[in-house]
Amino acid sequence: MKELIIIIKKELTELLRDKKTLINSIVLPMLLLPILMFGGIKVMDMIEKNNRAKSLKIGLVNAPQEFVQILKSDTLNKLTNYDESIDFKTLIDDETIQTAIVFPKKFEMQMDSLESSSVQVIRNGSKESINRRFSRMLDVYGNSLKNTRMEQLQISTEKLTPFHTNYVEVGEQKEIIGKSVGGFIPYIFILTMWGGCLLAGIDLVTGEKERKTIETTLSLPISKFKVLFGKTIVASLLGFIPALLNLVGLIIGLKFIDDIPDTFKETLTEMLSFQSITMILLLLLPLSLFLAGVIIALVAGASTFKEAQSKAAPLMFLLIIPLVLALMPGVEFTWATVFIPILNIGLGVKEIVAGTIDMGMYVAMLASLIAIAVAAIYFSYKKFADENAILN
Amino acid sequence: MIQLNNLTKSFTTKTGKGFKKETKTVNAVNDVSFECKPGRIFSLLGANGAGKTTTLRMIAGIINPTSGTAIVDGINISEGSDQVKKRIGFLTGSTGLYERLNPDETIDFFGKLYQLSDAALKERKEYLFEKLGINEFRKKRMGQMSTGMKQKVSIARTLIHDPEVLIFDEPTSGLDVITAESIIELIRESKTDNKTVIFSSHIMSEVDLLCDDLAIINKGSIIYNDSFENFKRDMKAPNLTQEFINRVKEA
Repeated sequence: MKELIIIIKKELTELLRDKKTLINSIVLPMLLLPILMFGGIKVMDMIEKNNRAKSLKIGLVNAPQEFVQILKSDTLNKLTNYDESIDFKTLIDDETIQTAIVFPKKFEMQMDSLESSSVQVIRNGSKESINRRFSRMLDVYGNSLKNTRMEQLQISTEKLTPFHTNYVEVGEQKEIIGKSVGGFIPYIFILTMWGGCLLAGIDLVTGEKERKTIETTLSLPISKFKVLFGKTIVASLLGFIPALLNLVGLIIGLKFIDDIPDTFKETLTEMLSFQSITMILLLLLPLSLFLAGVIIALVAGASTFKEAQSKAAPLMFLLIIPLVLALMPGVEFTWATVFIPILNIGLGVKEIVAGTIDMGMYVAMLASLIAIAVAAIYFSYKKFADENAILN
Repeated sequence: MIQLNNLTKSFTTKTGKGFKKETKTVNAVNDVSFECKPGRIFSLLGANGAGKTTTLRMIAGIINPTSGTAIVDGINISEGSDQVKKRIGFLTGSTGLYERLNPDETIDFFGKLYQLSDAALKERKEYLFEKLGINEFRKKRMGQMSTGMKQKVSIARTLIHDPEVLIFDEPTSGLDVITAESIIELIRESKTDNKTVIFSSHIMSEVDLLCDDLAIINKGSIIYNDSFENFKRDMKAPNLTQEFINRVKEA
């Protein structure tokens, strides 16, 4: 045990003296979420303000006066009347106008005789905010016509509304948000953890080969297993610490960023209780050991940093696929999914933050993660003990 | 004392394209036997790829032999390689040191793993630092040091536990003459201290300076093993280098 601690202390000292590792494993994870939260809110706010201040250039054909008045009520709208034969696609392409609406010549007559008409909206589907603004104005006009007709026909709104639906929400806000937002939390943790383990794993094994210290390390009077286990623990710590700092960053962000809506902030704070954080971190410990073990096994034969990266990088897809599956509707945390690595964390974390986790299933998931961590360490030891691979 | 009996090391490599793989086994060291005695310097000579490093790595417990035995200071390496490692100081010309540690931390790390007591480690470290002139750069990180400084720390690292057996694998390879001289001096001192010393080289001038006994290894097999005195007496070529080349070619 004493020897293992000496190895861990030495490897940690070495890694934390490397600026690259320090920035990637400590500084970035700590700042990532506050920056994303603060930056995201500010950027969204800015985009919204910009869009509201932008003028909307609309082309009109046979537009009824009432509709023109609705458009004119927003002073930012710039209206141009066109003849029916104009090529609107070219006008939209060269940005003379952003959208156009073509009413049939007989439109007002059709409205007067309570007939149904058809209008043509020419637009570019990719300009979402413009289309949304225009659709709102069209809806206002449509509703106004509908109300006029109902008055003419003396039909009350009540008669056209057979029933009202009142939803009584029995799920707690925490559960609802937890099940939707909770799926994204493992993304952040696992990907940060992956980055930390990868960098440390490569530095501790391939880095030793590149710096020609592997022979020195192997000549130490301790078993290869202890050397490997020490390295695996350090690589997993360098994966676990960034994930922990992510969490710290998230909590700091929630406390100090003012623009987050209060209800959302309160729910998130409730979701990230001491109990749920402890439960998540307990899952991340064996996961970080598993990732470190697999990465070390993969890079054991590599003799350069580049080769090691190309050997370990495809593993990332094996992490992302189960995480994406965990976000899909219908994929639930059941006894069938509880033993599938990564997918179980993706689904389990959702249940933890929503406060609906089954403790029996949680323990089973934790046990399965410990089992795969042990298997990964054994696998990495077999690779590390392979003289052909480690000494090339 | 080091005693090798029919030591063999095979490496298996897989080659091939697609699904067609071929397994190839090569004997890097084949049936090697020799003996190194305390108080004498044993030279293992051979061209690049002859099997010197593999043999020394097996003696040092870094790799395991495929067959045969190696007894180092009374311990069979296949039965207790960690115990053997505690009795060995292993130094090579190409082995690096941990670049982000300083000499103090490096020597402490090795000393603790060799299970020296705190007092013994401190005393031995101070003695070696003083003797090798490491004190002035003892807090400087290894990555910022010159090759000569690093080699001094390597020597201190090799000697921190005062090993009975010293293994030097091409220890002066790539070093300037002044740094190489410090290694030569270390090997001489180890002999005076009655240590068992084995060193590999292909630099005949070093062999001439240091050697008491020698073995020549070629393609993994020993082709000559006797005292250096007898080697010189039986020489047919005008110099050591030519004699070495002739013997390897004849083998």
